[in-house]
Amino acid sequence: MKLTKPSAITLACTLAFGLLTSVGVHAEKVLRIAMTAGDIPRTLGQPDQGFEGNRFTGIPMYDSLTQWDLSKADKASEVIPDLAVSWAVDAKDKTKWIFKLRPGVKFHDGSAFNADAVVWNVAKVLDKDAPNFDPSQVGVTASRMPTLRTAKKIDDLTVELTTSEPDSFLPINLTNLFMASPLQWAKKLAAVPGSVTDKAERAKQAWAAFAADASGTGPFKMTKFVPRERLELARNPEYWDAKRRPQIDKVVMLPLPEANSRTAALLSGQVDWIEAPAPDALDTIKARGFKVYSNPQPHVWPWQLSFAPGSPWLDKRVRYAANLCVNRPAMKQLLGGLMGEATGTVEPGHPWRGNPSFHIKYDPDGARKLMTEAGYSAAKPLKVKVQISASGSGQMQPLPMNEFMQQNLKACFIDVQFDVIEWNTLYTNWRIGAKDPSAHGSDAVNISFAAMDPFFAMVRFVSSKAAPPVSNNWGFYSNPEVDAIIAKARTTFDARQRDALLAQLHAKIVDEAPFVWVAHDTGPRAISAKVKGVVQPQSWFIDIATMTMD
Amino acid sequence: MISYLIRRVLYAMPIMLGVAFLCFMLVHIAPGDPLVAILPPDASVDLQKQLMELYGFNRSYPEQFFSWVWRAMHGDLGSSIATGRPVAQEVFKAVGNTFMIAALATLIGFFFGSLFGFVAGYFRNSWVDKIASFISVVGVSVPHYWLGMVLVIIFSSQLMWLPATGAGPDGSAAWIWDFEHVKYLIMPAVTMSFIPMGIIARTVRALVADILSQEFVIGLKARGLGEFGVFRHVVKNCAPTAMAVMGLQLGYLLGGSILIETVFSWPGTGFLLNQAIFQRDLPLLQGTILVLALFFVSLNLLVDILQTVFDPRIERA
Amino acid sequence: MSTLQATAATPVSALPLPAFKRSRGHWANVAARIVRNPLAMIAAVILLALIGIAVFAPWIMPADPFATSMFTRLKPIGTPGHLFGTDELGRDLLSRLMLGGRLSLFMGITPVLTAFVIGSGIGILAGYAGGFINTAIMRTIDVLYAFPSVLLAIALSGALGAGIVNALTSLTIVFIPQIARIAESVTTQVRRSDYVDAARASGAGAFTIVRAHVLGNVLGPIFVYSTSLISVSMILASGLSFLGLGVKPPEPEWGLMLNTLRTAIYTQPWVAALPGAFIFITSISFNMLSDGLRSAMEVKQ
Repeated sequence: MKLTKPSAITLACTLAFGLLTSVGVHAEKVLRIAMTAGDIPRTLGQPDQGFEGNRFTGIPMYDSLTQWDLSKADKASEVIPDLAVSWAVDAKDKTKWIFKLRPGVKFHDGSAFNADAVVWNVAKVLDKDAPNFDPSQVGVTASRMPTLRTAKKIDDLTVELTTSEPDSFLPINLTNLFMASPLQWAKKLAAVPGSVTDKAERAKQAWAAFAADASGTGPFKMTKFVPRERLELARNPEYWDAKRRPQIDKVVMLPLPEANSRTAALLSGQVDWIEAPAPDALDTIKARGFKVYSNPQPHVWPWQLSFAPGSPWLDKRVRYAANLCVNRPAMKQLLGGLMGEATGTVEPGHPWRGNPSFHIKYDPDGARKLMTEAGYSAAKPLKVKVQISASGSGQMQPLPMNEFMQQNLKACFIDVQFDVIEWNTLYTNWRIGAKDPSAHGSDAVNISFAAMDPFFAMVRFVSSKAAPPVSNNWGFYSNPEVDAIIAKARTTFDARQRDALLAQLHAKIVDEAPFVWVAHDTGPRAISAKVKGVVQPQSWFIDIATMTMD
Repeated sequence: MISYLIRRVLYAMPIMLGVAFLCFMLVHIAPGDPLVAILPPDASVDLQKQLMELYGFNRSYPEQFFSWVWRAMHGDLGSSIATGRPVAQEVFKAVGNTFMIAALATLIGFFFGSLFGFVAGYFRNSWVDKIASFISVVGVSVPHYWLGMVLVIIFSSQLMWLPATGAGPDGSAAWIWDFEHVKYLIMPAVTMSFIPMGIIARTVRALVADILSQEFVIGLKARGLGEFGVFRHVVKNCAPTAMAVMGLQLGYLLGGSILIETVFSWPGTGFLLNQAIFQRDLPLLQGTILVLALFFVSLNLLVDILQTVFDPRIERA
Repeated sequence: MSTLQATAATPVSALPLPAFKRSRGHWANVAARIVRNPLAMIAAVILLALIGIAVFAPWIMPADPFATSMFTRLKPIGTPGHLFGTDELGRDLLSRLMLGGRLSLFMGITPVLTAFVIGSGIGILAGYAGGFINTAIMRTIDVLYAFPSVLLAIALSGALGAGIVNALTSLTIVFIPQIARIAESVTTQVRRSDYVDAARASGAGAFTIVRAHVLGNVLGPIFVYSTSLISVSMILASGLSFLGLGVKPPEPEWGLMLNTLRTAIYTQPWVAALPGAFIFITSISFNMLSDGLRSAMEVKQ
């Protein structure tokens, strides 16, 4: 292609301009991030768009009473104090908790964080009559803190939280309740025109205004918000935790739902960090000098099995055989190494791992032996039907992975048939259950899940109280021993003892094998080499505040 | 002519109502939970019921439809469930953004389409005709959004000449008409221009061929009108229809930009629609489709009226 | 209506309408003219070949189009055993392209064919009846026509959900108004012609007139217009699968394959472009053939 004169000049000008801007008039450190979400996650305190929302418009801008420790990559991420320095359950009435708050914390707008703020934030999702109640935030929040009921101020730095029943999981659930500034919101409410008289409508408009000019206590504060296009955050030099005061001046977040566009944006220098790069582009990305970070997350990609009458999985030997027949190392290779091999819901090293006696590994001979004992053979295989989707958040690469498993299991006398349906429908079916016609007679369902807190990781799948339509015990698994451990764990309030009971629960679950455990997602992201201090913990989240840029 | 125009405008009314009805139906016959944008599937049944009531989704369909239409007539298209922001505001801003690339795309398409079409029609049935026709049809024979992706890989990832996505370095709100910003406009507009180019080329070719073969043109030539005179005559006769097609292509691009905008993350109506469909955000979906369809109806009407005004000879039904 | 001229890919004024009644000999002339058109003939041969490959695919495919193998994914063109390479799941691309032709051609032709039948019926009825019936039918059609086709296809697919049947339905619904409009316009013009007037004056019934005089004259132009929609249908189907609507994996279909291979452009650009090439060849061939038909039917001065 011959370069004609005009385009040569254009090229030269572009290059010169590019050089000038990269040298920089002043060295402001700007980190540009491309998210997979199709829109900026909500900025008013309770983000949407799933955990990517918490990751980018939750944790950077806000704090909660408790938080996940995101500083280490080699250990499981645990819950540590955040805006609450300590908490304890009342010895006599286990539904009451006393939280002691951190002194001297200020919101971005300058107002003080105190017990009133906590009560206000609990009311925004739980008190229908509160002036600041916002129904749109209830969905994402209430479901993650199912037992929280009320909050009461004891003094400026002490708050009493009440639950509907004794629930030792509460401190973990509170990582989802972010503290927004009541004063800032009140200013927005006052600014709503007087012509709007309906209380709910006024609150709604105040929240919409708050979302455009938010105020939390986090390490970054919002400076610019262009809906659907970009969010700009600036560092908060007065952040209460000196160890997490940001070194980066500005963070820009862009929604880029299309994987190729994200990759192109990184390669062309438009952004410095992209979430979930296209796996086939990873080689090109690495060749250009970008770094790819990944780490197994509290995420499980399984087949959840049915225990309805007539299910092929009722025989424990069959369940064990299926688990032993999946070639996880080969599947990991298939995914370019971006997978953690699952031998349970949590892996060795996690406080809830326990000591299961069933060791899950690739052992096709052992599997075939079990299947033969159970009465199956190559001539007389077991037929199972699994309901899957072709895509979906957290589903990784559902089709290749499922088809790979189908091939694996064929060698162990299990004939797998798939019912491929749309992701949203599959997710909705999860709460309807295996016995419903929507399951199309499936014996298992392939839905990945987050495993960050005990309820979400374990209880909702194996508790008899979590059977559909209450929660996600899709297969109607029921075991009184398991129920007993759950009840005990829920009412044991010493953190260490509770974790020990949860470990017992996990070990029991693995030994019972109501799942075929396959993989953990590793949350890959590609980041420019200019960004230093990147720690990807074993979590869905990552801490931007501790990173630096050249 | 006036009576025709008045009739045409009056006809548009029931059509608009029909469009609103179809819009509403399209969005509501979809299976799935209208609250899926703000309610994770693991929420309890009680929570679901509570929110359905708060958002008015437990009312009957006719009630929901009429309340929606009534408020729409007052300019209130409701608020997005996912973001809480008013739909009307977002849609009109998005229409503005889409208009930028659609207008540029239509102009590019019109220019090259007319060029190729004219050449093809003038030299009809010769090899020039065949080559020109072929070139103009190339862009309509492959999915254009895919061509866009290829362009991005060539010009952004490899050559790094143009930015891959977005509407400007600071977002569309800070748009200035300088090269830094126009850079972002180029690839989406060029990608979008393939379709209008193909259609306009075909139309112009057929028009030119038709006019040139008409008796009175031959008569004009026989009376000694030079080539340039014939050329002027052809252009004068083609122009109204060609411009009408251009106008309608603009409307078509405005409404059908979803694929390009998804590839380029251009914050227009298509991008909005994509999110709305994915999140099942009913008010946003209804509002966006309604505005786009009404725009198209109005554009249709305008083109009709202009055509009648400028060329009353055109056959009426 | 005047906008009809503007919106049709082929303006009505350029459609070949007769000033006389067509005879059997006329169609023979048309056929003869087409055969002498080299481009149209090449297009026809290509299409026949593609259709043939698609129909006989299950017997002539070199490999199993559904067999995945994660260890041989994204192999380049010319790999032994995989002449056209492999896709992102390790499936043989040549076999998938062959079998995919079935679904792709199906998604291209079926909606247009169905819309042709239904749209022509509606349009001819409206055109011949005239008056109030015409207005009622055409205004209803206008409501559907008020939506830009991409928007309507996506909105319908979004409402009905993913899947082949739903995609076919939404594409058919998108094309019906377009064909109906053309049909109505052409029929109206024919209805006003002298020989139809003569036939009515001689007392022939409506059905007879339509069958004997109208159909022969209008079906041709409508058909020509419809063939130009086939490529549009294929490309719209591809757009639907890009958005997750339409054809679902693992069905081989060129548009879907183009989409699932799109992230492979970085590693195997030529393999990733192959399904696009097939869509391109098919579309161009249909369009060339359609053009050839139209030229052949043109009344020469």
